[in-house]
Amino acid sequence: MAHDTSILVIEDDPPIRRFIKASLEQEHYRVFEADNAKRGLSEAATRKPALLILDLGLPDMDGIELIAELRHWSAMPILILSARTDEQDKIAALDSGADDYLIKPFGVGELLARVRALIRRHPAAPDGAPQVQFGEVCVDFINRSISRAGNPVHLTPIEYRLLSVLVTHPGKVMTQRQLLREVWGPQHGDDGHYLRIYVRRLRQKLEIDPAQPLHFLTETGVGYRFKL
Amino acid sequence: MRLPLTSRPVYGYLTALLACGIITLINILLTDYFELANIVLLYLFGVFLIAWGYGRGPASVAAVISVGLLDFFFVSPRFSFAVGDLQYLLTFSVMLAVGLLTAHLTAKLHHQARLASNSEAQTQRLYELARALAGAISLPQVSTALNHYLAGSTYTASLHLLDKHDHLGEVSTDYINMQLARTAFESGEVIHSELEADRGVSQVYIPLKAPMRIRGVMLLTGRNIRLNPTQPEREVLVTVASLIAIAVERLHFIEVAHQTQLQVVTERLRSSILAALSHDIRTPLTSLVGLADSLVLSKETMSDFSRSTAVVIRDQAKAMSHLLGNLLDMARLHAGNVRLRQEWQLYEDVIASSLQLLKPSLAAHTIKVHLEPGLPLVQFDAVLLERVVCNLVENAAKYAPATTVIEVRAYTTPSHACVSVRDQGPGFPSDKMTRVFEMFVRGTSESSTAGVGLGLAICKAIIEAHQGFIGAENCAGGGGCISFGLPRGTPPRIEPEVIG
Repeated sequence: MAHDTSILVIEDDPPIRRFIKASLEQEHYRVFEADNAKRGLSEAATRKPALLILDLGLPDMDGIELIAELRHWSAMPILILSARTDEQDKIAALDSGADDYLIKPFGVGELLARVRALIRRHPAAPDGAPQVQFGEVCVDFINRSISRAGNPVHLTPIEYRLLSVLVTHPGKVMTQRQLLREVWGPQHGDDGHYLRIYVRRLRQKLEIDPAQPLHFLTETGVGYRFKL
Repeated sequence: MRLPLTSRPVYGYLTALLACGIITLINILLTDYFELANIVLLYLFGVFLIAWGYGRGPASVAAVISVGLLDFFFVSPRFSFAVGDLQYLLTFSVMLAVGLLTAHLTAKLHHQARLASNSEAQTQRLYELARALAGAISLPQVSTALNHYLAGSTYTASLHLLDKHDHLGEVSTDYINMQLARTAFESGEVIHSELEADRGVSQVYIPLKAPMRIRGVMLLTGRNIRLNPTQPEREVLVTVASLIAIAVERLHFIEVAHQTQLQVVTERLRSSILAALSHDIRTPLTSLVGLADSLVLSKETMSDFSRSTAVVIRDQAKAMSHLLGNLLDMARLHAGNVRLRQEWQLYEDVIASSLQLLKPSLAAHTIKVHLEPGLPLVQFDAVLLERVVCNLVENAAKYAPATTVIEVRAYTTPSHACVSVRDQGPGFPSDKMTRVFEMFVRGTSESSTAGVGLGLAICKAIIEAHQGFIGAENCAGGGGCISFGLPRGTPPRIEPEVIG
């Protein structure tokens, strides 16, 4: 299956770059490489890749700055690579517009799964889609109605807003701050406990086993991710 | 401190007598040439000199004796105290009055002059002490300055300062009475003691009052003298003590600042070493895991042996990265300065994400999750608590045989919100029940099960940082169970949604 979806990898460590490139090329992606932020930005501008894979620990520029700069002129999905120790950098990167992250070390399987999800989602974001279906649940955005296994489910307005924000960003890690801002409004940035209580309610109403959810996943310390 | 010098008074009186005698002799020799008025003046001059030299008492005596001598030797009838002419009585009275007045005024003037020069010297010496103290950069220098100040006086001083823990520690020297020192310290008053007076020792305990607090006690010991300072002397001593106290306090804060700086530097060094270590080891591990994994998944033809070798390399590299994570966590937790990012959260989120993370390694076991309905919000650091749950579940999966059930339960007690992880494995050896949370202790030593026994130690460190409890037990039906609990506290209210 030859497709020419291109991916840009900005990573300063050659062996890591090498294995990412090898794994992606095996899946027939076109891979461009950059070993610093400056080159990365110019590659991103000229190649217009479908996805950017970005290491947060670059020598010449803060990865968060790079994302902010890129977001001025591009909506391309960004997958960040981070060490477990820079929790706060990761959140800052997601807040400033990155879509997902991988914690080092990671396997090829994880990498490809994330890449596929991000590329699949983006060209056809279900923004305009009238209906989304996951598990037994069907969300009808036109009639604002939700059904589960054919039976209507009642959601409060906030539950519905939270559900639609999550569902319209499948696969994307939504930080706590982003969700609070979109659902409750900008002045509620610190009311994380509301978010957790409402996610619990969504799980109870929509998940088969709320204790082991399949769609409304927790990204500990970061936020939530909706998985189709 | 030097007190105003007062000569032995008896010399003054003797000198007064002698002076009167000498003046009388001179007057007798000159009596043929002198008028009586000049003789009177000579006597008055003598009184004046005595007053200047020896003060009021001897001068008054000299005045009275002068009048007597004048009467006896020079007023007719001579060599008798009888008075021929009554007007001499007036002369005597005036002479006595002038003599006494001169004695009084001169003595007073002289005394004041002496006091003034004395206090000037005092001020000069205090100034020198203050200057020496301002330059002092260590406690011995403070003591030296104090001793220099006291040199030549009849006291010796010793400083008794607060120790590191701000206590006035016990000292076992002969001359310090701890109880008095403590009383002076606690009351902030100057305490004078004659308890040892029979040994010729008297003491004054002066609290060292600095702007922030009392920093100790200055003990003045006088030997072979009575040390009972008068009010002005006391004031000088208190001034000296406060100069010392300010110097001591300044040194204390220099020390504190120095320590803080040292701590900051050490801390920065430690965390930069940890960060560098973490980065420098993780980067090659990342490429190792990734490259081995790309070999495993490679579509090129490869011998089974090569492929399975690649699997082993990948898994070992992963295990090593896991171990590194544990070691770094432990180093960070043990440094005792983990900053908890505590927020009000739900256990179910952490349990769900832990199980999600461990999914690949839990495939062989059945996981059952029991959540008590309506679990409260609990305040914790989600990332750290996820480590705890992961470690507990992973531990259970490691020791319990395949296909058995691992049960994760979240429940509440009146004071705590708890999580327990129960397995159907062999349980914990009863002799190691309390030691399983220690570092590098494993249920079965030298077993082939991977790990170095850091997992539970990390759990314990994290839970204790949250003021919670963690414990291990063996269940009645077999299998081990570890539970932890965090204090419930008062969760924030969730306002009900207004549906308009």
